[in-house]
Amino acid sequence: MDKPKREAILDLAKYVNERIRVKFTGGREVTGVLKGYDQLLNLVLDEVEEQLQTEGELKTRSLGLVVLRGPTVTLLSPVDGWEEIANPFVAQE
Amino acid sequence: MLPLSLLNAAQNKPMLVELKNGETFNGHLINCDNFMNITLREVYQTSAEGDRFWKLKECYIRGSTIKYLRVPDTLLDAVKEEQNRAREAGRSARGAHVSGAGARGRGMPTRGGRGMVRGAPARGGRGRGRGA
Repeated sequence: MDKPKREAILDLAKYVNERIRVKFTGGREVTGVLKGYDQLLNLVLDEVEEQLQTEGELKTRSLGLVVLRGPTVTLLSPVDGWEEIANPFVAQE
Repeated sequence: MLPLSLLNAAQNKPMLVELKNGETFNGHLINCDNFMNITLREVYQTSAEGDRFWKLKECYIRGSTIKYLRVPDTLLDAVKEEQNRAREAGRSARGAHVSGAGARGRGMPTRGGRGMVRGAPARGGRGRGRGA
């Protein structure tokens, strides 16, 4: 019925040279400037900061230029337009 | 009613996605693929504990990390209707050609069904092929 879509559902070209946030299986999380990518979602990020949650407090460590392995990426979103907010659901219910 | 056809039909619809780690994402589905990888826009992310919230303009979620997706109830009717229409269209289209010499699947007990010549080197007998 519907043929398998060959093209990627995410066009990473629009994020090149933009800061993105990436989460991995296991819960690690980094932000970095996207420099390169492939169809397997392997990524090259520069100026990478890893966000570490240790005993409730937030810490970061700098990793510099990094190759990220695609299959371990679980979540990817641009940092631009990302913000922590108050509960948006209480008002609706 | 296949899970992925329902998901496909949910494009541009609001949905809630819960990941295996308990995080949830509320947003409009932009796109999805057959691995259930999805992209959402205008996303509200909730932490696994349900105590922290984030707003994301857009995000990509790996299908293998998803626990479940909640989609609008009305989607079910829409998809059923769409399936019925497709079936009707398919039936009438086939009906018009059934007497033609090129009709496949009915009449003419030529084995193979894919235009294979008997005794020809085996090729394209399995799977869906690539449609050239």
